[in-house]
Amino acid sequence: MPEQDFNLALPFARQTVFSPESVMLAVAGREYSYGQLGQQVAHLAGALAPRLQSRRVGILATRSLEAYVGILAACWAGAAYVPLNLKWPEERLVALLQALELDALVVDENGAALLTPAVLAAAPDLVVLPAGAAKEAARPGQMVSERTALDTPPLPGPVQVRADAVGYIIFTSGTTGMPKGVMISAGSLDHYIAQSRFWTRYTADDRIGEACDVTFDLTVHNLFLCAEAGASLHVMSQLELMAPARFIRSHELTVWMSVPTVIGLMRKSGALKPDLFPSLRMSIFCGEPLPAEAAQAWAAATPNGSVENIYGPTECTVVCMRQTLTEPPVVTPSRGIVAIGEPYPTMEVGILDERQQPVAPGMPGEIALCGPQVAIGYFGQPELTADRFRMLDGRRWYLTGDLGSCDADGVFHHLGRVDNQVKVKGNRIELEEVDMHLRRAAGSELVATVAWPVSYGSAEGLVSFVAGSEHEPEAIREAMLESLPRYMVPGAIHRLETLPQNVNGKVDRRALVALLESGRAAEAAA
Amino acid sequence: MTKVSAVAIVREAVLAMLAERGHRGAISDHDSLFFSGKLDSMAATEVLMLLEREIGIDLADADFDITQLDTLAQIEGLIGARV
Repeated sequence: MPEQDFNLALPFARQTVFSPESVMLAVAGREYSYGQLGQQVAHLAGALAPRLQSRRVGILATRSLEAYVGILAACWAGAAYVPLNLKWPEERLVALLQALELDALVVDENGAALLTPAVLAAAPDLVVLPAGAAKEAARPGQMVSERTALDTPPLPGPVQVRADAVGYIIFTSGTTGMPKGVMISAGSLDHYIAQSRFWTRYTADDRIGEACDVTFDLTVHNLFLCAEAGASLHVMSQLELMAPARFIRSHELTVWMSVPTVIGLMRKSGALKPDLFPSLRMSIFCGEPLPAEAAQAWAAATPNGSVENIYGPTECTVVCMRQTLTEPPVVTPSRGIVAIGEPYPTMEVGILDERQQPVAPGMPGEIALCGPQVAIGYFGQPELTADRFRMLDGRRWYLTGDLGSCDADGVFHHLGRVDNQVKVKGNRIELEEVDMHLRRAAGSELVATVAWPVSYGSAEGLVSFVAGSEHEPEAIREAMLESLPRYMVPGAIHRLETLPQNVNGKVDRRALVALLESGRAAEAAA
Repeated sequence: MTKVSAVAIVREAVLAMLAERGHRGAISDHDSLFFSGKLDSMAATEVLMLLEREIGIDLADADFDITQLDTLAQIEGLIGARV
């Protein structure tokens, strides 16, 4: 019996044969069919396949044709794809290129602008550019070529890939200052797709919005489920994401997936009106807590659709828990957010204490995950891998660093980060709890609190930031004092026009601390 | 608010954000600011807020086309049409 083939591009390859005329990708104002993309992917894969040694192909591209052709061609050739972030500074790009030992690097127009002499010198022997972007090779033996000019014969079909081969490496923020590369196997992704297929039920008629950069693993969900269904993927620019209504309506999207911050932005500008998006049949939110009010406002705007809150770390293949918005919603009472629900049937969730022992039922603890979606580990970081991926009772678990609990109905709740717990003058405080009260008092979802200033690991106070609130800071403080002990009410509240976001669109607490450190908070306040 | 002063305010803000993000070299009126990655989503928010304040663009309008704000020339065109 032949071994099962886990090549990630197989479902895509099938569509290029069975529905070559169907549109697969709409990006930067153009549309590409499965057939057109299949030709371009097979052509690029033909150049990649003979060069594979590390089996890693870098993608210095996002929200572009090059990004998607690069990803699919890497998969088609049997390599792992490795998205590199276009927002990384030169020094970090160089360091990661040196560590990754890529076989090739696929670059789009914006990526080409980042190919400084130092970056190009650290780049692999094959660098593939978009048409019209000329660059000189940095050294003998390095080939820098426009994609269309590659003269290798196309690779007719995806090559056989084993379940334990690395499928992709996606970087997440690391506490040590450098990002961690999470290695997901082709087999893990196969399990993920199998479990996600039955509740997303994508079909060839679906028009799926892509709001994220390919460095964020929500794009893994969109791309591979889209290709399997023969649906179309509609890629937004980052600019369009700031005011997405026009895009969703003009592309008549049927599926939406993004971080919940997008809802906050739209509510703030008054854009999120009831019945605004009749075409959406499903909206999926992920990546940060989903305030119940925000979910309900989105549901009102999508009268023909459901709203799903999904949860999971990159280390367990996109997500592995899900809660559908119901009426009334299943909420996490202390936080006013939608619960994270129940795990995929193949995944097991543990709520563990500091010694990795299960806590008593209902008690809070660290969320740990076990099952076929657990990652191989962090690229080149065996110690960090051993620290976060543990053998417990003979099985391999990933410790998420998220705090959670399981209620009597078997529904799981997210209670914040293990490391967002702070002590202020000896009092234990969860910043998320403060934020929940702050949201209510400020009448805005766009809030964040940090412990500051911190000396010797102990905070002297809390400082909050609020965007989109009509209330004066003093009035917000007074309202908070009505529901919180004084030690949990921030000493200062700064109103900003907007909250800084990290590369994945989440509120960047570190940037807020930096603002305070630099003494610019009052100046930046609106 | 006159057209000239609104244009000057937005232009100055865009150039300041480019400088702050380490963009070197001249920028032409037709260079892409956002699609090119020169400016990020934080900067886009700032530009939107400025336009809201200076010329009263309505972000609540579902047909508002944000892609028409990618160059200085486009932004100034929008201001010209509104003031």
